[in-house]
This record gives sequence, C-alpha cells and structure tokens, in this order.
Amino acid sequence: MIDKIFSNLTRFSALLILVIVAWIFVELYNQSLEAINAFGFDFITKDEWAPNVDKFGAYAAIFGSVASTFLAMLFAIPIAIGVAIFLSEIAHDKIKGFFGVSVELLAAIPSVIYGMWGLFYFVPIIRDLFGGMGIGLLSAGIVLSIMILPFMAAVTRDAMNTTPDILKESAYALGGTQWDVIKDVIIPYARAGIIGSIILALGRAIGETMAVTFVMGNVHHTPSAITDPTTSIPVTLANEFAEADSSLYFSSLFELALLLLAMSFVVIAIAKFYFLRKERRGV
Amino acid sequence: MASIIDIKDECALHVRDFEFTYKGAPAPSLKKVTMPIAKHSITALIGPSGCGKTTLLRSFNRMHDLYPGNTYNGEIEFEGRNILGAKEDLIHLRTKIGMIFQKPTAFPMSIFDNVAYGMRLQGIKNKTELRDRVEKALQDAAIWKEVSDRLKNDANGLSGGQQQRLCIARAIAVEPEVLLFDEPTSALDPISTQGIEKLVIELKEKVSIIIVTHNMQQAARVSDYTGFMYLGELIELGHTEELFVTPKEKLTQEYITGKFG
Amino acid sequence: MTAVQKRVLINKIVLGLSTLSAIIAIAFLFWILGVLVMKGVGALNWDIFIFEGSPPGYAESGLKHALVGQLILVSLATFIGVPFGILAGTYLSEYGKNSKLAHAIRDISDIMMSAPSIVIGAFVYAIVVMPMGHFSAWAGAIALAIIMIPIILRTTDDMLQLVPGTLREAAFALGAPKYKVIMDVVYRGAKAGILTGVLLGIARVGGETAPLLFTSFNDNFFTTDLNEAMPSLTVTMFNYAISPYEDWQQLGWAAAFILSMFILGLNIVGRLILFAGKRK
Ligand SMILES: Nc1ncnc2c1ncn2[C@@H]1O[C@H](COP(=O)(O)OP(=O)(O)OP(=O)(O)O)[C@@H](O)[C@H]1O
Ligand SMILES: [Mg+2]
Repeated sequence: MIDKIFSNLTRFSALLILVIVAWIFVELYNQSLEAINAFGFDFITKDEWAPNVDKFGAYAAIFGSVASTFLAMLFAIPIAIGVAIFLSEIAHDKIKGFFGVSVELLAAIPSVIYGMWGLFYFVPIIRDLFGGMGIGLLSAGIVLSIMILPFMAAVTRDAMNTTPDILKESAYALGGTQWDVIKDVIIPYARAGIIGSIILALGRAIGETMAVTFVMGNVHHTPSAITDPTTSIPVTLANEFAEADSSLYFSSLFELALLLLAMSFVVIAIAKFYFLRKERRGV
Repeated sequence: MASIIDIKDECALHVRDFEFTYKGAPAPSLKKVTMPIAKHSITALIGPSGCGKTTLLRSFNRMHDLYPGNTYNGEIEFEGRNILGAKEDLIHLRTKIGMIFQKPTAFPMSIFDNVAYGMRLQGIKNKTELRDRVEKALQDAAIWKEVSDRLKNDANGLSGGQQQRLCIARAIAVEPEVLLFDEPTSALDPISTQGIEKLVIELKEKVSIIIVTHNMQQAARVSDYTGFMYLGELIELGHTEELFVTPKEKLTQEYITGKFG
Repeated sequence: MTAVQKRVLINKIVLGLSTLSAIIAIAFLFWILGVLVMKGVGALNWDIFIFEGSPPGYAESGLKHALVGQLILVSLATFIGVPFGILAGTYLSEYGKNSKLAHAIRDISDIMMSAPSIVIGAFVYAIVVMPMGHFSAWAGAIALAIIMIPIILRTTDDMLQLVPGTLREAAFALGAPKYKVIMDVVYRGAKAGILTGVLLGIARVGGETAPLLFTSFNDNFFTTDLNEAMPSLTVTMFNYAISPYEDWQQLGWAAAFILSMFILGLNIVGRLILFAGKRK
C-alpha cells in the first residue's frame, strides 16, 4: 500500500519534468500567437521595434544574439582549449588541482557579477580604445566570452581527460613530444567530446542574460560597426518584459522567448546527443 | 641473496643497483636491482602482482619521467652510456627502445598512419619510403596479409589480436634495438596469444626483447632468460630451462610450484 | 634543423602558448574576483544588515530587504524543488532504470539544465503572474524551483546508482518492502551525494537574476508577504548597478560580494561533503 503510493509519487515527480517542459513550449507558443498572426515571418526579418506604434520586428535582437555569441566563441574557444591543454597535459599536480578547482568555482560565480564587472571596468577600456559609448556588441561578446570561459575550459578538459593513459604513453614511447601526443592522439580521440563541450558552452552563451544586459545597450538597431550598441533576445526580455504595456507587445516578447528557447534547445541537444553520447571505445 | 647469472654474450642493457620510488610512496618499489639483459634474446620477467615488473620495464624507456615526482638512482647502461642521466635525449631513447602495452593501443587513425606514425615523427616524408617500410613492418609483424587491402581503414576496426600485432608493427617500424612487452597477451584470446608468442620469438633476430608476463608457461615457451622478482627485488635470473627446472633460490622454487602468489 | 629538432621547438612554442592562455584566463578571472573583493569589502558595514533600501542619497540605507527576500525566495524554491527533484531522481534510479521513459527524462533534464533561465521567467510570468495580476514571491520561487528540479534530479539519480545493488538485495532478503529499502538503505547510502546535489542546486539558483526580473520583480521595500513582489539580492544588485547613484552602486557591490561568498561557500561545502564521503 505505502509501497504503491511511494512508487507512484516518484513516477509522478519524474513525469512532472516532462510535463513542465512541454508546458513551457505550449504556453510560450500560445502567448506568442498574437504576434505570430500579426507579423508572421516579418517578425524575424524586420528590425523595426516600435512599441509606441505596436510594430515589432526582432531581427536586431536575433542578429545581436547570434553575433554576440559568435564573438564570444571566437575569443573563448582558443583560450579555453589552451587552458584545457594546460590543465590536462602541462600543469603539475598541485597547480592542476588548485587551478582546476578555481576554474570550476569561477564557473559557479553568478553571471550578473560578470556583467557588473563588465559595465564598470571593461566598458571604459573599450570606450577609450574605440571611442563611442563602450557599450555595444564588442563589449557584450568579450564579457560573454569571459563568463563562459571557465565552463568551457572545464568541460573541454574533462573531455581530454577521457583519453586513456596508455594510448598517450604509446605515442610517447614512439618518441612523440607532448604536442605530438596532444594533436595526434588526444584531440582525435576526444574530438567528439571536445566539440560537444564547445557546443554546449555555445548553447549556454546564447541564453545568457545578465552578463550581457549591462553592456549591450538595448538599442533595437542592427549594428553597422562592431562597437555599436545593439540588443539581443535575452537583453530585450530583461529590459522590456516588466514594462510592456500592450498585449501585442507582450506577445512579441513571448515569441522572442520561444525563439530563444528553441535555439538553445536545438544547440544543446546537438551537443548532447550528437557529440556527447557516452560511447565505449576499445582501449 | 639473489642469484644472478653472468651473461657471457654481449648485453643489450645492463641494470646496476637500480632503485626506484614512486612519488609519495613510503618505500621504494625497486630495491638495488642488478640485471643484465642479453642481446638478441628474450628475457622474461615473472613474479607476483605488485613485485615491480612493470616498474622495472618502464624504467628502460624512461616512461616514468612522464609523471613528475618519481625518484630513481643507480645505472642502466645502454649503448655504452647510462641512460638515467639528466641529459639523456628521451625522444631518441624511445625510438631505440620501443614498448608494447597490456592492451592494444591503436591510435585513432588509419592502419597505415598508425604504422607510419613513428617514422613521420622522425621526419620521414618520402611516400615510397614510408610505404615500403610500413609494408615491411606489417610483414614482420605477421599482419600484412590481413590488412594489405584496407590500409586506409580505421585501425580501431581490427580485432584485439590484430591491433596488438599492429602495435608491434608500429614499434618495429622505427627499427628499435630493444622492445619492451608488458603482458602483451593479457587482453587476448588463446589463438591471438599464440600468434603474438610466435611473433615475439621471430623478432629476436632483430631486436632484444624483455617481456613481462603473469603466465609462467608463456615465459617458459618464449624466453631464453627468466628473471624472478619479488617485493621489488630481482631474486633470480637464469637460463629459462634451468630456472624452471632447477631454481637456485627457495623463493623461486616456491613461486614456480605455485606455493604462493 | 632536423625534423626532430623542429618538433621539439614547435612543442615548446605550443606549450608556451597554452600556458599563456591559462595565464590570460586566470588574470581576467582574478581581475574580476579582485574587483569583487575590493569593492565588496569596501562597501560592507553593519548598516547593510540593519537598514532597508531607501532612495539614493539617504544615509540610512542597507540591503536587509534584499537579503531577507533572497533568503525567502531561495528557501521557498528549495522546499518546492528538492522533494520533487529527489523523488524524480529516485524514480529514475530505482524504478525507471534503463527504460526508454527514464532515459527520455534524463535527456530532457540535461537539456533543461543548460536552457536559458530567462525563458523560465517568461513562462512563470504567463502561468503565475498574469493570472494573479501582479508580481509575487511565489512566482519567483516557482521559477527558481523549475530551474532547480533538473539539477537535483540528475545528481540524485547518479548518486543513488552508486549505491551497490548488493546492499538493496540484502535488505530485500530481510523482507523489507521496496519503499523501506529505498528510505532506509538507498537514501542512507547516498546521503552525502544527495546533500551535495541539493547544495549545488541551491548555489545555482541563488545566483539567478534573469528568472526573477519579472516574477518576484523587485521593490525597494522590506516584505515577507509571499503574495507581493519581493526584492532579491541579484535583482537589487542589477538595479543598483545600472543606476547613476554612487551610493546605490556601492550597495550593489556589497550585495555582489555577499552573494558570491554565499555561493562559493555552498560550492566548497558541497565538494567537501562529497570528497569526505568518497574517502570513507
Ligand atoms: N603510479 C604508482 N604510484 C605509486 N605506487 C605505484 C604506482 N604504480 C605501481 N606502484 C606500486 O609499485 C609496486 C610495483 O608495481 P608494479 O606495477 O611495477 O608491479 P607489477 O609487478 O607490474 O604488478 P602486476 O603484475 O600486477 O602488473 C606496487 O607495490 C605498486 O603498488
Ligand atoms: Mg604490471
């Protein structure tokens, strides 16, 4: 009797997660319907975002999301791979332990703090270097890259660490240097895991809100220069949701949320299912 | 007291008073080991688990140097010098002393590239030379017939025994003087094991071989000399027939008759 | 130069570059941490814990409202999220095991763990704030709980699976019903791991800002009414930091510092518990 109740309780809780996820999609879709009916594809191809006349085109926000994520990846990937190589192959045990834990703890620091730091300390540097306001696409990309770096480095290192020791030793035993072993054995062996880790980090970067909200500008304008202020989907949501005043405005914001969810869902699913499926290899 | 025979022929390697301690370990894993390794013959290392066979084997190509913090002293003589010196060129040393591991370690690349790997590291780029030497190595490793029509295939598609022979081909392709085998058949089925044993015997014409094994029959079948290790010491080194039939040390006797271990 | 010498040189260069990137990364991260500590400690004082939020330029202003609000929101989220998470994890490990359904739930949870948290905020806005007609602590806590559940679920699942099957069998052999076995044997065996999962889950939602922006919203007042908008450290930090007033910005840094210490503390404690559990 109690047994039955308990097992049903656990099953109910487990199913709840599926229900919630489905519900999120359905609810966001329902809320978006008004905007979808009003604008159709124009919503994603036009960049006129004018709440005063109830016209909403999200091109600038979508572009900003893609562009800031792209910039962040551009800066973060080489450094993260460098750090991962350092952590898995170069650093001595003590440094490895200290540095490794630091990286993991830094990945836990709330992203709003990266945003604050960006606004007060990094934006002025960009302003001095490039003129203008400092706030904009470039700042957002760099702050985002710094925010995502610890996570990306940690998961990339974990992927590299799956390479069996004797496989590496076999290459050393043939007279390979560390770099030979890294490029010929570790990277080919852990390729799927490394790519998956990077894509997973990308999936997180797309939806990151607080690190970029401070430094992007929230201007619905497709930037003509890399230092121009612009916006992204999460930035728009963060700034405008609590202030929206018409039902079409709300609906448009919900459609943005739906688009963002779909984008990151697809990216994360690709990382998880295509690259990070645990497969056992021979060695 | 240890009983180590004097090897009259030329030695490939000569270990003298070698002591080895792993990083952080309270006691040395090898204690004052002295051991000649005869040239162009097969020396087997036997002994109970944890006695230091692998540790000794990995000292010959300085594999331990990959992990900082281990300490060792004594001497290992190879080609007239002590290879334990700080100035030893490890890249060069490892091309002279090859190693085969407990499990097959095919790299994630094609069969051809696996065998060519060591040669490419040495800067050999000439296509015909590479192709000839890959073929020769695969023939010497008795696997050429099985793979000649699929050299471009991923090496991980081969069976365990084939992969192990591929690893042997990869090791001999760089023409080493010495080959180290650490329980090379422990992950293989009996038929593959037979193949590897036959191959090891054929290889001694070209290289000197040291093989660690848990299988005393295997040691008896393939080796010319056998060394028995116990708790980090070399207890006895002798001609294989003599050591298994008339061991000089009581410990050796007990071990080969299965009284312990 | 021989081929081998060239390789050795390239090796040195690449390893140098890799070390350099590690130095660059750590320099940036220490810069951020340094700023956080300098600014945060500089802005710390007892007033912060005594006074509530007040208009800029006001001497008696503090973060009491946000600290209490944060505590309420996170506790409420924990009370909602942890039981569901643990029960769901129990289902995966003890009942669902390798079934298709169990794997589907694991996969979906994995994705949810990396999904944008601001979207969760929008969802909760639609299902809680809109029907209620106003922002509320409940809405914020529900948003945080939704973020927390997949984390707790996955760690519980993993940790329960580490409990050896023989232990369960021994208990079954004594005639215990399944729920008893789970409660008395499995949960006990995985206690440290589950606790770590809960702590890391709390740490994760404790740093969330985006899902609170339009659920619990943020008023600059002290409140304990769960049906009202409720301030949180993170949203307060955001509002204060983007304000043009220096004293508010100071308070923002103080909030950032307090929150970071809280989250790092939870992470460290969580790891220590797991580590101590492993050594035993
Ligand atoms: N990396 C290591 N760090 C510390 N101690 C080690 C390490 N590797 C081996 N040892 C210790 O050194 C001793 C010798 O180990 P070794 O691996 O050489 O034994 P072995 O004879 O090869 O055993 P087996 O037959 O099980 O392979 C053992 O006591 C072992 O515990
Ligand atoms: Mg061994």
